[in-house]
Amino acid sequence: MPGALVFIYMTLALIALAILVTFSDRHMHEFVRPVKRFLRGDFGRVPRAAVLALVPLLAGWQVWDITAPDVAVPAALRIQHPSSNFPKSFETLKNPLANPPEADVQAFVEQAKAGNVAFIAQVEADVKRWREANADRHGLEFIATAPMKKFLDALKAGTVDPQTAKAALVEKYLFEGRALYAMNCRACHGDSTAGDGPMADGFKLRPINFTDNGTIETIVEGYTFWRVTNGGPGLPTEATPWDSAMPEWKLSLTEEERWKIILAEYDLAQKTPRIPESH
Amino acid sequence: MSVHPKLRVLAPVAAALAVVAAAGALAADKPARAKPAETPELLEQGRAVYFRRCSFCHGLLGDGDGPAAEFLDPRPRDFTLGTYKFRTTQSGKLPTDEDLFRTVSRGLSGTAMQAFDNEIIKNGLTEDERWAVIAWIKTFAPEFKNPEYDPYKRQVALPKGMPASSAATIAKGREVFEKAKCWECHGKQGRGDGQKAFDRTDDWGFPIRIRNVTHPWKIKGGTEVEDIYMRFTTGINGTPMPSFIEGVPSEEDRWALATYIKSLQHKQTEHQVLKPLRVEGALPAAPDDAAWAKAPPMDVRLAGQVTAPPRWQNPSIELVTVRAVANDKEIAFLLQWDDPFKDAVHDEKAELDAKELTKTGGYSSYVDPYEMVPRKLETFRDAVALQFPLKLLEGTKRPHFLRGDASNPVQLWRWKADLEEQGKRSVEEAVARGWKQPPKPLAEKHQLVAGKAEWKDGRWSVVMQRALVTPDGSGVQFAPGVFVPMAINVWDGSNGEHGLLMSVSTWQYVFIEAPVPARVYGYAGFAVLATGLLGVGLMRKAQRSGS
Repeated sequence: MPGALVFIYMTLALIALAILVTFSDRHMHEFVRPVKRFLRGDFGRVPRAAVLALVPLLAGWQVWDITAPDVAVPAALRIQHPSSNFPKSFETLKNPLANPPEADVQAFVEQAKAGNVAFIAQVEADVKRWREANADRHGLEFIATAPMKKFLDALKAGTVDPQTAKAALVEKYLFEGRALYAMNCRACHGDSTAGDGPMADGFKLRPINFTDNGTIETIVEGYTFWRVTNGGPGLPTEATPWDSAMPEWKLSLTEEERWKIILAEYDLAQKTPRIPESH
Repeated sequence: MSVHPKLRVLAPVAAALAVVAAAGALAADKPARAKPAETPELLEQGRAVYFRRCSFCHGLLGDGDGPAAEFLDPRPRDFTLGTYKFRTTQSGKLPTDEDLFRTVSRGLSGTAMQAFDNEIIKNGLTEDERWAVIAWIKTFAPEFKNPEYDPYKRQVALPKGMPASSAATIAKGREVFEKAKCWECHGKQGRGDGQKAFDRTDDWGFPIRIRNVTHPWKIKGGTEVEDIYMRFTTGINGTPMPSFIEGVPSEEDRWALATYIKSLQHKQTEHQVLKPLRVEGALPAAPDDAAWAKAPPMDVRLAGQVTAPPRWQNPSIELVTVRAVANDKEIAFLLQWDDPFKDAVHDEKAELDAKELTKTGGYSSYVDPYEMVPRKLETFRDAVALQFPLKLLEGTKRPHFLRGDASNPVQLWRWKADLEEQGKRSVEEAVARGWKQPPKPLAEKHQLVAGKAEWKDGRWSVVMQRALVTPDGSGVQFAPGVFVPMAINVWDGSNGEHGLLMSVSTWQYVFIEAPVPARVYGYAGFAVLATGLLGVGLMRKAQRSGS
């Protein structure tokens, strides 16, 4: 606080001055002489009257300022990433969809070969309409990303390897995650995760901008999952849970839906989660 | 060169600053470099960008029917018809590429379409990416391929040498507003309340709201005089908003009208503490009492209730202006918000059954505004609620802003338009312990808040009045010098709102200023006296020693 700093420096300066002045009788005399002359009226009666009136008024104002009731909004220092009630078990959680197990990859390849890869209900209608309009193309071709293109080429050539297939499956999850994000999170956090959704201005505690440094990249995935799962009500007191509009998503979204959203959220924000420290 | 050495250092800095400032002014509006040629590679790049960033709203086929579309009002654009709202081309014509560039870059304020400019958001699209996605979007509508519809032959330019906004242009614009009958739709005060009918739709049959031009954050095409000029010069394709290029033929008149509309934009207050005006004697009981004008206003922004299912992201009330007046016994609040339709009946049978929406892993916990709730007149009531903690908590702790919870309950003063209309007690006090159960009304003898309301020119004004301290000790107690948290809920009946389908605010404060205690005057007086005597004493001493 600059006020406190100024006070300390002023006090130190005054003490130094007092030491200097009282160091010898000669110093003392030199110091007091002009003051005495001023008080005697040697420099004029008007300036003396002015100083004698102003100094008490200044003192009175200072005392008033210190004792009068101060009207400041009660401010709470808010901890953005509280850890006091963060369960240790979440610390090392990994997003299971970022690295799907072999069985899931196998099943996906089989479905892709048969041309009947199934999607979550929320995107099904849109995918179906695309497939009807593009009957001559593979049913995954609308996923216009490099890993999916590579997979579909390999599928055609009959040379699919597990790595290529896994990367394509993650693209499918990302597609679903983006749709779930757009349906559930977008209104506040914005279509690009920049914290600029149409409702953002309605909350005193603004929705987090995930593209900012120091947000989702400074925490482990398990923490993100914990925050999405328990929302505002799951925050400890130091993070002012009463101001947070973040829902307790465990009441509305399945675990898989939450992980899909987190996968898409990091991808859209172009961030990677912090790696858990190994113990 | 005889340039001062300091200036030589400063010159490049100044030049760099000028470039940055110019770029800042142009960012999101105009491309800095030339538009790339439409090659197959560009289209392929555009397809990839579209898939990742646009398709979940606009649909894989560009028909405005992506997975999130059914929850959005306004709906995402259907690109297949080539009908675009915000253009610099004549009414009914296609937009130029630069028009599309502008919309993609800066987004459409108040809608689900945010800015995509990478100078505005860190993960935004580069200029090339924006041009690529625009090239792809144009493939959805065959009209863009037809030279007969070339938008560049139908452009409307901004007029040159127009006067700056002044009292004179604004007054002239007001005349144009009257003469061109803008008020027939937009209302006499511009609050979008001119139409008595509720059945306006766009070209796709979706309901359309007449813009309240006083709320700048909802003005999609831009809030500057140039933007406003362009809107009524070109019209808004696909909507009932026509072009006034013939209705108001003079460019200067249209410019004046734009400065007038700009002058209507509300300037929001910034503070979060409502300080009631202290008065002696009776409080203003009527909403139109002239005494209210002296009480300082506080603007409160609201959002849709999305914290708990059923979630609602289509609120129509996003601003409430509050004032308060208090004497030493009572406090009265005046709440004002714009609502173009007065809804004063309530049909409980039409309320939403939210069972499906509250299931875990259901399709979605948001309310589909087109299918799930009736959004029409004569169905649900307009209402407003002031929310206070039932008991003040220690320190900065508060109950949750959405209805508190089991251990930290809140009190609601709910004013209801249907009760007001029927001449009954229009404010009902209730206690809520979280959002899972509806608030529980207090017993009749504890109902202590009086209400009075008026709807005029598209605006509700509601007064709620109560004793500062209740004789039965029930509910919130107001004492001077204490910060009392306050939040607001609003319901717009014809927007389908009821129950948790509402607008909410987070916590603000009410603070009644305490009179300064007598001892503070005492301390200050003593300090003046003591220092004064000391000074006079020293003076005397100096005079004595000198003589």
